[in-house]
Amino acid sequence: MTRFFHILKELYRNVRRNIMTTLSAIMVMILLLFLFDIFWIASVTSNKLYRDFLSELQMEVFISEEASDSATVTLQESILNIKGVNNAEIVSRELARQQLAMLVGVDLLIGYDTVNPLPRSIIISFDDEYLEVDKLQEIEERIYNFNSVSNVFYSKSWLAKVEKTKSIISRVGLFLGGLILLTVLISSASSMSLTTRARASGFEQMRLLGAGKIFLALPFLIEGILIGFFSAFLGWIVILYGKNKIDITQIEIVYPSYQEILIFCLLAGFLGLASGYIGIRKMLKM
Amino acid sequence: MADEKIIVELNNVFLRSSRGYEVFRNLNFKLLAGHSAIIHGTAGSGKSSFIEMIIGRQFAESGSVEVFGNLIKPRKKGVIRKNRRKIGGVGGIFSLVPSYTVAENISFPLILSGAGRKYRNERLSEILTEFSLLKQAKEFPSNLTRVENMLVQFARASIAHQPLLIIDEPLAGLDQETYRKVYEYMFKLAVSGLTLIIVSSEKLENRLPNCRSYQITEGAIL
Repeated sequence: MTRFFHILKELYRNVRRNIMTTLSAIMVMILLLFLFDIFWIASVTSNKLYRDFLSELQMEVFISEEASDSATVTLQESILNIKGVNNAEIVSRELARQQLAMLVGVDLLIGYDTVNPLPRSIIISFDDEYLEVDKLQEIEERIYNFNSVSNVFYSKSWLAKVEKTKSIISRVGLFLGGLILLTVLISSASSMSLTTRARASGFEQMRLLGAGKIFLALPFLIEGILIGFFSAFLGWIVILYGKNKIDITQIEIVYPSYQEILIFCLLAGFLGLASGYIGIRKMLKM
Repeated sequence: MADEKIIVELNNVFLRSSRGYEVFRNLNFKLLAGHSAIIHGTAGSGKSSFIEMIIGRQFAESGSVEVFGNLIKPRKKGVIRKNRRKIGGVGGIFSLVPSYTVAENISFPLILSGAGRKYRNERLSEILTEFSLLKQAKEFPSNLTRVENMLVQFARASIAHQPLLIIDEPLAGLDQETYRKVYEYMFKLAVSGLTLIIVSSEKLENRLPNCRSYQITEGAIL
Protein backbone atom coordinates (compact mmCIF):
# COMPACT_ATOMS: atom_id res chain seq x y z
CA MET A 1 0.00 0.00 0.00
CA THR A 2 2.91 2.35 0.80
CA ARG A 3 4.22 2.04 -2.74
CA PHE A 4 0.74 2.33 -4.22
CA PHE A 5 0.08 5.60 -2.38
CA HIS A 6 3.52 6.82 -3.40
CA ILE A 7 2.67 6.08 -7.05
CA LEU A 8 -0.61 8.03 -6.74
CA LYS A 9 1.26 10.90 -5.08
CA GLU A 10 3.80 10.87 -7.92
CA LEU A 11 0.95 10.95 -10.43
CA TYR A 12 -0.55 13.99 -8.69
CA ARG A 13 2.90 15.60 -8.50
CA ASN A 14 3.49 15.01 -12.24
CA VAL A 15 0.20 16.63 -13.14
CA ARG A 16 0.62 19.54 -10.70
CA ARG A 17 4.20 20.34 -11.74
CA ASN A 18 3.46 20.02 -15.45
CA ILE A 19 -0.05 21.36 -15.44
CA MET A 20 0.31 23.20 -18.77
CA THR A 21 1.83 20.20 -20.54
CA THR A 22 -0.89 17.94 -19.13
CA LEU A 23 -3.66 20.38 -20.05
CA SER A 24 -2.35 20.81 -23.59
CA ALA A 25 -2.07 17.01 -23.95
CA ILE A 26 -5.68 16.61 -22.77
CA MET A 27 -6.96 19.36 -25.07
CA VAL A 28 -5.14 18.03 -28.11
CA MET A 29 -6.49 14.57 -27.36
CA ILE A 30 -10.05 15.84 -26.85
CA LEU A 31 -9.95 17.65 -30.20
CA LEU A 32 -8.47 14.72 -32.07
CA LEU A 33 -10.76 12.14 -30.50
CA PHE A 34 -13.71 14.48 -31.08
CA LEU A 35 -12.76 14.52 -34.76
CA PHE A 36 -12.56 10.74 -34.67
CA ASP A 37 -16.02 10.59 -33.06
CA ILE A 38 -17.44 12.77 -35.86
CA PHE A 39 -15.95 10.41 -38.44
CA TRP A 40 -17.40 7.50 -36.56
CA ILE A 41 -20.91 9.03 -36.49
CA ALA A 42 -20.63 10.00 -40.16
CA SER A 43 -19.57 6.49 -41.05
CA VAL A 44 -22.37 4.80 -39.07
CA THR A 45 -24.95 7.24 -40.47
CA SER A 46 -23.84 6.85 -44.09
CA ASN A 47 -23.82 3.09 -43.62
CA LYS A 48 -27.42 3.24 -42.43
CA LEU A 49 -28.40 5.44 -45.39
CA TYR A 50 -26.73 2.99 -47.77
CA ARG A 51 -28.59 0.07 -46.20
CA ASP A 52 -31.88 1.97 -46.37
CA PHE A 53 -31.36 2.66 -50.08
CA LEU A 54 -30.45 -0.91 -50.77
CA SER A 55 -33.40 -2.36 -48.88
CA GLU A 56 -35.63 -0.81 -51.54
CA LEU A 57 -33.72 -2.44 -54.40
CA GLN A 58 -35.77 -4.95 -56.37
CA MET A 59 -35.21 -7.16 -59.40
CA GLU A 60 -37.84 -7.48 -62.12
CA VAL A 61 -38.01 -10.71 -64.09
CA PHE A 62 -40.00 -10.41 -67.35
CA ILE A 63 -41.87 -13.50 -68.46
CA SER A 64 -41.91 -14.57 -72.12
CA GLU A 65 -45.17 -14.14 -74.10
CA GLU A 66 -45.67 -17.86 -74.74
CA ALA A 67 -45.36 -18.93 -71.08
CA SER A 68 -48.61 -20.25 -69.58
CA ASP A 69 -49.94 -19.08 -66.21
CA SER A 70 -48.98 -22.39 -64.60
CA ALA A 71 -45.42 -22.00 -65.96
CA THR A 72 -45.35 -18.52 -64.41
CA VAL A 73 -46.32 -19.94 -61.01
CA THR A 74 -43.62 -22.66 -61.36
CA LEU A 75 -41.08 -19.93 -62.18
CA GLN A 76 -42.17 -17.97 -59.11
CA GLU A 77 -41.66 -21.04 -56.93
CA SER A 78 -38.24 -21.69 -58.47
CA ILE A 79 -37.21 -18.11 -57.80
CA LEU A 80 -38.43 -18.28 -54.21
CA ASN A 81 -36.19 -21.33 -53.70
CA ILE A 82 -33.06 -19.34 -54.60
CA LYS A 83 -30.98 -18.55 -51.52
CA GLY A 84 -31.17 -14.84 -50.67
CA VAL A 85 -34.56 -14.25 -52.28
CA ASN A 86 -36.90 -12.79 -49.71
CA ASN A 87 -40.05 -12.42 -51.76
CA ALA A 88 -41.25 -12.91 -55.36
CA GLU A 89 -44.56 -11.47 -56.50
CA ILE A 90 -46.21 -12.02 -59.87
CA VAL A 91 -47.32 -8.87 -61.66
CA SER A 92 -50.03 -9.73 -64.19
CA ARG A 93 -50.58 -7.72 -67.40
CA GLU A 94 -53.59 -6.01 -65.81
CA LEU A 95 -51.68 -5.14 -62.61
CA ALA A 96 -48.81 -3.80 -64.74
CA ARG A 97 -51.30 -1.59 -66.60
CA GLN A 98 -52.68 -0.24 -63.28
CA GLN A 99 -49.20 0.40 -61.97
CA LEU A 100 -48.22 2.23 -65.15
CA ALA A 101 -51.34 4.36 -64.97
CA MET A 102 -50.58 5.22 -61.35
CA LEU A 103 -46.99 6.07 -62.23
CA VAL A 104 -47.83 8.28 -65.19
CA GLY A 105 -51.14 9.58 -63.91
CA VAL A 106 -53.08 8.59 -67.01
CA ASP A 107 -53.96 5.24 -68.60
CA LEU A 108 -51.80 5.08 -71.73
CA LEU A 109 -53.40 1.85 -72.94
CA ILE A 110 -56.92 3.10 -73.51
CA GLY A 111 -56.82 1.93 -77.18
CA TYR A 112 -55.58 -1.53 -76.24
CA ASP A 113 -58.67 -2.80 -74.49
CA THR A 114 -58.58 -6.27 -76.05
CA VAL A 115 -54.84 -6.95 -76.07
CA ASN A 116 -52.69 -5.66 -73.24
CA PRO A 117 -49.16 -5.37 -74.69
CA LEU A 118 -47.46 -5.09 -71.29
CA PRO A 119 -45.41 -8.16 -70.30
CA ARG A 120 -46.02 -10.16 -67.16
CA SER A 121 -43.26 -10.03 -64.60
CA ILE A 122 -42.11 -11.20 -61.20
CA ILE A 123 -40.84 -8.60 -58.73
CA ILE A 124 -38.14 -9.98 -56.42
CA SER A 125 -36.87 -8.53 -53.15
CA PHE A 126 -33.80 -9.84 -51.31
CA ASP A 127 -32.41 -10.50 -47.87
CA ASP A 128 -30.17 -7.62 -46.71
CA GLU A 129 -26.94 -9.60 -46.82
CA TYR A 130 -27.51 -10.45 -50.52
CA LEU A 131 -27.76 -6.80 -51.61
CA GLU A 132 -24.33 -6.76 -53.24
CA VAL A 133 -23.34 -6.54 -56.91
CA ASP A 134 -21.63 -9.94 -57.04
CA LYS A 135 -24.40 -11.83 -55.23
CA LEU A 136 -27.18 -10.22 -57.27
CA GLN A 137 -25.32 -11.02 -60.47
CA GLU A 138 -25.13 -14.64 -59.41
CA ILE A 139 -28.89 -14.70 -58.75
CA GLU A 140 -29.53 -12.98 -62.11
CA GLU A 141 -27.55 -15.69 -63.92
CA ARG A 142 -29.52 -18.44 -62.18
CA ILE A 143 -32.83 -16.80 -63.12
CA TYR A 144 -31.76 -16.57 -66.77
CA ASN A 145 -31.33 -20.33 -66.75
CA PHE A 146 -35.01 -20.87 -65.95
CA ASN A 147 -37.53 -21.42 -68.76
CA SER A 148 -40.06 -18.70 -69.55
CA VAL A 149 -37.68 -15.82 -68.65
CA SER A 150 -37.35 -13.16 -71.35
CA ASN A 151 -35.43 -10.48 -69.47
CA VAL A 152 -34.12 -9.56 -66.01
CA PHE A 153 -33.82 -5.96 -64.90
CA TYR A 154 -32.42 -4.23 -61.82
CA SER A 155 -30.31 -1.08 -61.19
CA LYS A 156 -27.04 -2.91 -61.72
CA SER A 157 -24.86 0.04 -62.73
CA TRP A 158 -26.30 2.25 -59.98
CA LEU A 159 -25.61 -0.43 -57.41
CA ALA A 160 -22.03 -0.83 -58.69
CA LYS A 161 -21.46 2.93 -58.41
CA VAL A 162 -22.89 3.09 -54.89
CA GLU A 163 -20.77 0.14 -53.82
CA LYS A 164 -17.60 1.69 -55.25
CA THR A 165 -18.35 5.02 -53.57
CA LYS A 166 -18.96 3.27 -50.27
CA SER A 167 -15.68 1.38 -50.61
CA ILE A 168 -13.75 4.62 -51.30
CA ILE A 169 -15.40 6.37 -48.35
CA SER A 170 -14.59 3.41 -46.09
CA ARG A 171 -10.93 3.41 -47.14
CA VAL A 172 -10.56 7.18 -46.72
CA GLY A 173 -12.35 6.97 -43.37
CA LEU A 174 -10.12 4.16 -42.22
CA PHE A 175 -7.00 6.08 -43.29
CA LEU A 176 -8.11 9.30 -41.60
CA GLY A 177 -9.21 7.42 -38.47
CA GLY A 178 -5.83 5.69 -38.31
CA LEU A 179 -4.06 9.01 -38.88
CA ILE A 180 -6.01 10.64 -36.05
CA LEU A 181 -5.23 7.81 -33.64
CA LEU A 182 -1.54 7.89 -34.64
CA THR A 183 -1.47 11.65 -34.04
CA VAL A 184 -3.07 11.10 -30.63
CA LEU A 185 -0.39 8.51 -29.83
CA ILE A 186 2.54 10.67 -30.96
CA SER A 187 1.25 13.88 -29.40
CA SER A 188 0.55 12.28 -26.04
CA ALA A 189 3.85 10.35 -26.08
CA SER A 190 5.87 13.47 -26.82
CA SER A 191 4.28 15.44 -23.99
CA MET A 192 4.96 12.51 -21.66
CA SER A 193 8.52 12.36 -22.93
CA LEU A 194 9.01 16.08 -22.17
CA THR A 195 7.84 15.56 -18.60
CA THR A 196 10.13 12.60 -18.00
CA ARG A 197 13.16 14.24 -19.61
CA ALA A 198 12.96 17.06 -17.09
CA ARG A 199 13.06 14.50 -14.30
CA ALA A 200 15.67 12.11 -15.71
CA SER A 201 18.30 12.81 -13.03
CA GLY A 202 15.73 12.08 -10.32
CA PHE A 203 14.86 8.75 -11.92
CA GLU A 204 18.53 7.82 -12.09
CA GLN A 205 18.85 8.49 -8.36
CA MET A 206 15.76 6.49 -7.51
CA ARG A 207 17.06 3.57 -9.56
CA LEU A 208 20.38 3.68 -7.69
CA LEU A 209 18.41 3.38 -4.47
CA GLY A 210 16.65 0.27 -5.78
CA ALA A 211 13.49 1.60 -7.44
CA GLY A 212 12.32 -0.71 -10.23
CA LYS A 213 11.32 0.38 -13.71
CA ILE A 214 7.66 -0.44 -13.16
CA PHE A 215 7.63 1.50 -9.91
CA LEU A 216 8.95 4.57 -11.74
CA ALA A 217 6.89 4.07 -14.87
CA LEU A 218 3.49 3.41 -13.26
CA PRO A 219 2.59 7.05 -12.48
CA PHE A 220 3.19 7.94 -16.14
CA LEU A 221 1.32 4.91 -17.45
CA ILE A 222 -1.65 5.66 -15.18
CA GLU A 223 -1.51 9.30 -16.26
CA GLY A 224 -1.59 8.15 -19.90
CA ILE A 225 -4.61 5.90 -19.23
CA LEU A 226 -6.51 8.67 -17.41
CA ILE A 227 -5.73 11.30 -20.05
CA GLY A 228 -6.78 8.93 -22.84
CA PHE A 229 -9.98 7.81 -21.12
CA PHE A 230 -11.16 11.24 -19.98
CA SER A 231 -10.27 12.92 -23.30
CA ALA A 232 -12.44 10.40 -25.14
CA PHE A 233 -15.15 10.72 -22.49
CA LEU A 234 -15.20 14.54 -22.66
CA GLY A 235 -15.29 14.38 -26.47
CA TRP A 236 -18.44 12.26 -26.24
CA ILE A 237 -19.97 14.55 -23.61
CA VAL A 238 -19.65 17.42 -26.11
CA ILE A 239 -21.20 15.33 -28.89
CA LEU A 240 -24.08 14.02 -26.77
CA TYR A 241 -24.76 17.56 -25.55
CA GLY A 242 -24.83 18.72 -29.17
CA LYS A 243 -27.11 15.79 -30.07
CA ASN A 244 -29.80 17.13 -27.74
CA LYS A 245 -29.43 20.69 -29.01
CA ILE A 246 -29.20 20.15 -32.76
CA ASP A 247 -32.30 18.91 -34.53
CA ILE A 248 -31.83 17.67 -38.11
CA THR A 249 -35.01 16.18 -39.55
CA GLN A 250 -33.78 15.51 -43.08
CA ILE A 251 -31.28 12.83 -42.13
CA GLU A 252 -31.51 10.41 -39.29
CA ILE A 253 -28.12 10.67 -37.57
CA VAL A 254 -27.06 7.37 -36.04
CA TYR A 255 -25.04 7.50 -32.82
CA PRO A 256 -23.06 4.60 -31.38
CA SER A 257 -24.63 2.93 -28.34
CA TYR A 258 -23.53 3.85 -24.81
CA GLN A 259 -21.84 0.47 -24.57
CA GLU A 260 -19.83 1.19 -27.73
CA ILE A 261 -18.90 4.64 -26.39
CA LEU A 262 -17.68 3.08 -23.13
CA ILE A 263 -15.59 0.55 -25.07
CA PHE A 264 -14.19 3.42 -27.16
CA CYS A 265 -13.25 5.36 -24.00
CA LEU A 266 -11.53 2.25 -22.60
CA LEU A 267 -9.65 1.81 -25.87
CA ALA A 268 -8.62 5.47 -25.72
CA GLY A 269 -7.34 4.72 -22.21
CA PHE A 270 -5.32 1.85 -23.67
CA LEU A 271 -4.02 4.24 -26.35
CA GLY A 272 -3.00 6.57 -23.52
CA LEU A 273 -1.21 3.67 -21.85
CA ALA A 274 0.68 2.95 -25.07
CA SER A 275 1.60 6.61 -25.50
CA GLY A 276 2.72 6.73 -21.86
CA TYR A 277 4.94 3.72 -22.47
CA ILE A 278 6.40 5.25 -25.66
CA GLY A 279 6.99 8.51 -23.81
CA ILE A 280 8.95 6.92 -20.98
CA ARG A 281 10.66 4.04 -22.75
CA LYS A 282 13.98 5.92 -22.89
CA MET A 283 13.81 6.37 -19.16
CA LEU A 284 13.17 2.66 -18.75
CA LYS A 285 16.42 1.90 -20.57
CA MET A 286 18.48 3.68 -17.91
CA MET B 1 36.14 -14.70 12.11
CA ALA B 2 35.30 -17.71 9.96
CA ASP B 3 31.53 -17.36 10.49
CA GLU B 4 31.50 -13.64 9.65
CA LYS B 5 29.26 -12.83 6.74
CA ILE B 6 30.90 -11.60 3.55
CA ILE B 7 29.19 -8.46 2.29
CA VAL B 8 31.28 -7.72 -0.79
CA GLU B 9 33.62 -10.06 -2.61
CA LEU B 10 35.40 -9.46 -5.91
CA ASN B 11 37.51 -12.26 -7.38
CA ASN B 12 39.92 -11.93 -10.32
CA VAL B 13 37.87 -9.12 -11.80
CA PHE B 14 38.80 -7.85 -15.22
CA LEU B 15 37.06 -4.67 -16.33
CA ARG B 16 37.49 -2.65 -19.49
CA SER B 17 36.11 0.88 -19.82
CA SER B 18 33.63 1.83 -22.53
CA ARG B 19 36.55 3.48 -24.37
CA GLY B 20 38.42 0.18 -24.36
CA TYR B 21 41.23 0.66 -21.85
CA GLU B 22 41.75 -1.71 -18.94
CA VAL B 23 40.37 -0.42 -15.65
CA PHE B 24 40.98 -3.52 -13.54
CA ARG B 25 43.22 -6.55 -14.08
CA ASN B 26 42.79 -9.32 -11.60
CA LEU B 27 41.09 -7.25 -8.92
CA ASN B 28 40.48 -9.04 -5.63
CA PHE B 29 38.63 -7.59 -2.67
CA LYS B 30 36.70 -8.90 0.29
CA LEU B 31 34.72 -7.01 2.93
CA LEU B 32 33.11 -8.65 5.95
CA ALA B 33 29.98 -7.49 7.74
CA GLY B 34 30.72 -4.86 10.35
CA HIS B 35 34.08 -4.02 8.80
CA SER B 36 35.01 -0.94 6.85
CA ALA B 37 37.32 -0.17 3.95
CA ILE B 38 38.86 3.13 2.99
CA ILE B 39 39.86 3.03 -0.68
CA HIS B 40 41.88 5.79 -2.19
CA GLY B 41 43.30 6.31 -5.61
CA THR B 42 44.13 9.03 -8.07
CA ALA B 43 41.60 10.41 -10.54
CA GLY B 44 40.92 7.80 -13.23
CA SER B 45 42.26 4.93 -11.14
CA GLY B 46 38.88 3.19 -11.18
CA LYS B 47 37.31 4.22 -7.85
CA SER B 48 33.97 5.06 -9.45
CA SER B 49 34.03 1.86 -11.51
CA PHE B 50 34.66 -0.08 -8.29
CA ILE B 51 31.54 1.44 -6.71
CA GLU B 52 29.50 0.95 -9.87
CA MET B 53 30.41 -2.74 -10.01
CA ILE B 54 29.15 -3.17 -6.45
CA ILE B 55 25.82 -1.49 -7.17
CA GLY B 56 25.44 -3.26 -10.54
CA ARG B 57 25.94 -0.31 -12.85
CA GLN B 58 29.07 -1.76 -14.48
CA PHE B 59 29.82 -5.41 -14.98
CA ALA B 60 33.07 -7.34 -14.88
CA GLU B 61 34.23 -8.79 -18.19
CA SER B 62 35.62 -11.77 -16.31
CA GLY B 63 35.90 -12.80 -12.67
CA SER B 64 33.06 -12.48 -10.19
CA VAL B 65 31.41 -9.77 -8.12
CA GLU B 66 29.30 -10.91 -5.19
CA VAL B 67 27.34 -8.56 -2.98
CA PHE B 68 25.31 -9.90 -0.04
CA GLY B 69 26.09 -13.35 -1.44
CA ASN B 70 24.47 -12.57 -4.79
CA LEU B 71 26.42 -12.69 -8.04
CA ILE B 72 26.14 -9.39 -9.88
CA LYS B 73 25.47 -10.02 -13.55
CA PRO B 74 23.81 -7.83 -16.21
CA ARG B 75 20.77 -10.06 -16.55
CA LYS B 76 20.12 -10.33 -12.82
CA LYS B 77 18.17 -7.09 -12.66
CA GLY B 78 15.95 -8.25 -9.81
CA VAL B 79 18.97 -9.21 -7.71
CA ILE B 80 20.64 -5.87 -8.43
CA ARG B 81 17.47 -3.99 -7.48
CA LYS B 82 17.15 -5.89 -4.19
CA ASN B 83 20.84 -5.37 -3.41
CA ARG B 84 20.57 -1.64 -4.07
CA ARG B 85 17.84 -1.39 -1.47
CA LYS B 86 20.34 -2.71 1.08
CA ILE B 87 22.99 -0.17 0.12
CA GLY B 88 23.05 3.40 1.32
CA GLY B 89 25.00 5.91 -0.72
CA VAL B 90 26.54 9.27 0.02
CA GLY B 91 28.38 11.56 -2.41
CA GLY B 92 29.48 10.93 -5.98
CA ILE B 93 26.70 9.36 -7.99
CA PHE B 94 24.41 9.18 -4.95
CA SER B 95 22.95 12.64 -5.16
CA LEU B 96 19.47 13.72 -4.10
CA VAL B 97 16.28 13.60 -6.17
CA PRO B 98 15.89 17.25 -7.21
CA SER B 99 12.09 17.19 -7.35
CA TYR B 100 11.73 15.78 -3.82
CA THR B 101 11.90 17.74 -0.60
CA VAL B 102 14.50 16.86 2.04
CA ALA B 103 11.90 14.83 3.96
CA GLU B 104 10.82 12.96 0.82
CA ASN B 105 14.43 12.25 -0.15
CA ILE B 106 15.25 10.90 3.29
CA SER B 107 12.17 8.68 3.54
CA PHE B 108 12.45 7.30 -0.01
CA PRO B 109 14.34 4.10 1.03
CA LEU B 110 11.49 3.36 3.48
CA ILE B 111 8.92 3.77 0.70
CA LEU B 112 10.87 1.30 -1.43
CA SER B 113 10.99 -1.16 1.44
CA GLY B 114 7.20 -0.81 1.85
CA ALA B 115 7.33 0.54 5.41
CA GLY B 116 4.01 1.76 6.83
CA ARG B 117 3.17 5.43 7.08
CA LYS B 118 3.27 5.57 10.89
CA TYR B 119 6.70 3.97 11.13
CA ARG B 120 7.96 6.11 8.26
CA ASN B 121 6.89 9.34 9.94
CA GLU B 122 8.34 8.31 13.29
CA ARG B 123 11.64 7.28 11.75
CA LEU B 124 11.79 10.43 9.65
CA SER B 125 11.21 12.58 12.69
CA GLU B 126 14.04 10.74 14.54
CA ILE B 127 16.45 11.11 11.66
CA LEU B 128 15.63 14.77 11.01
CA THR B 129 16.27 15.49 14.67
CA GLU B 130 19.48 13.43 14.71
CA PHE B 131 20.90 15.29 11.71
CA SER B 132 19.52 18.68 12.76
CA LEU B 133 17.54 18.92 9.55
CA LEU B 134 14.09 19.72 10.95
CA LYS B 135 14.17 23.26 9.57
CA GLN B 136 15.14 22.07 6.12
CA ALA B 137 12.59 19.24 5.92
CA LYS B 138 10.42 20.97 3.33
CA GLU B 139 13.26 22.49 1.33
CA PHE B 140 14.30 21.21 -2.09
CA PRO B 141 17.93 20.13 -2.67
CA SER B 142 18.62 23.20 -4.82
CA ASN B 143 18.12 25.38 -1.72
CA LEU B 144 20.58 23.47 0.47
CA THR B 145 24.23 24.21 1.18
CA ARG B 146 26.83 21.59 0.23
CA VAL B 147 27.14 20.42 3.82
CA GLU B 148 23.37 20.23 4.28
CA ASN B 149 23.18 18.27 1.06
CA MET B 150 25.70 15.76 2.37
CA LEU B 151 23.90 15.53 5.71
CA VAL B 152 20.65 14.74 3.91
CA GLN B 153 22.44 11.97 1.99
CA PHE B 154 23.77 10.56 5.28
CA ALA B 155 20.27 10.80 6.73
CA ARG B 156 18.82 9.00 3.72
CA ALA B 157 21.49 6.30 4.03
CA SER B 158 20.67 5.82 7.72
CA ILE B 159 16.87 5.81 7.79
CA ALA B 160 16.28 2.26 6.56
CA HIS B 161 19.12 0.62 8.51
CA GLN B 162 20.77 -0.53 5.30
CA PRO B 163 23.67 -2.87 6.13
CA LEU B 164 26.18 -1.41 3.63
CA LEU B 165 27.02 2.24 3.18
CA ILE B 166 29.12 3.53 0.29
CA ILE B 167 30.58 6.99 0.81
CA ASP B 168 32.19 8.65 -2.19
CA GLU B 169 34.61 11.53 -1.53
CA PRO B 170 33.08 12.45 1.83
CA LEU B 171 35.65 14.93 2.99
CA ALA B 172 36.87 16.62 -0.17
CA GLY B 173 36.80 20.40 0.04
CA LEU B 174 35.29 20.57 3.53
CA ASP B 175 36.31 23.10 6.12
CA GLN B 176 37.95 21.85 9.35
CA GLU B 177 34.79 21.85 11.39
CA THR B 178 32.61 20.09 8.83
CA TYR B 179 35.43 17.62 8.11
CA ARG B 180 35.49 16.73 11.81
CA LYS B 181 31.71 16.48 11.98
CA VAL B 182 31.47 14.17 8.95
CA TYR B 183 34.38 12.05 10.12
CA GLU B 184 32.79 11.71 13.55
CA TYR B 185 29.57 10.65 11.96
CA MET B 186 31.34 7.99 9.88
CA PHE B 187 33.05 6.82 13.05
CA LYS B 188 29.68 6.55 14.78
CA LEU B 189 28.32 4.50 11.89
CA ALA B 190 31.32 2.17 11.91
CA VAL B 191 30.99 1.68 15.69
CA SER B 192 27.30 0.87 15.25
CA GLY B 193 28.35 -2.17 13.23
CA LEU B 194 27.54 -0.87 9.77
CA THR B 195 29.74 -1.95 6.89
CA LEU B 196 31.32 1.07 5.22
CA ILE B 197 33.14 1.53 1.94
CA ILE B 198 34.72 4.96 1.85
CA VAL B 199 36.22 6.04 -1.45
CA SER B 200 38.49 9.03 -1.70
CA SER B 201 41.05 10.56 -4.00
CA GLU B 202 43.06 11.59 -0.94
CA LYS B 203 44.59 9.21 1.59
CA LEU B 204 42.39 9.52 4.68
CA GLU B 205 43.45 8.90 8.24
CA ASN B 206 42.20 5.56 9.38
CA ARG B 207 40.83 5.78 12.91
CA LEU B 208 37.65 3.82 12.22
CA PRO B 209 37.14 0.51 14.06
CA ASN B 210 37.61 -2.71 12.04
CA CYS B 211 38.77 -0.63 9.11
CA ARG B 212 41.45 -1.31 6.52
CA SER B 213 42.92 1.13 4.01
CA TYR B 214 43.40 0.13 0.38
CA GLN B 215 44.83 1.80 -2.65
CA ILE B 216 43.59 1.34 -6.20
CA THR B 217 46.48 1.56 -8.58
CA GLU B 218 47.35 0.12 -11.98
CA GLY B 219 44.18 -1.91 -12.21
CA ALA B 220 44.51 -3.64 -8.88
CA ILE B 221 43.66 -3.01 -5.25
CA LEU B 222 46.54 -3.06 -2.79
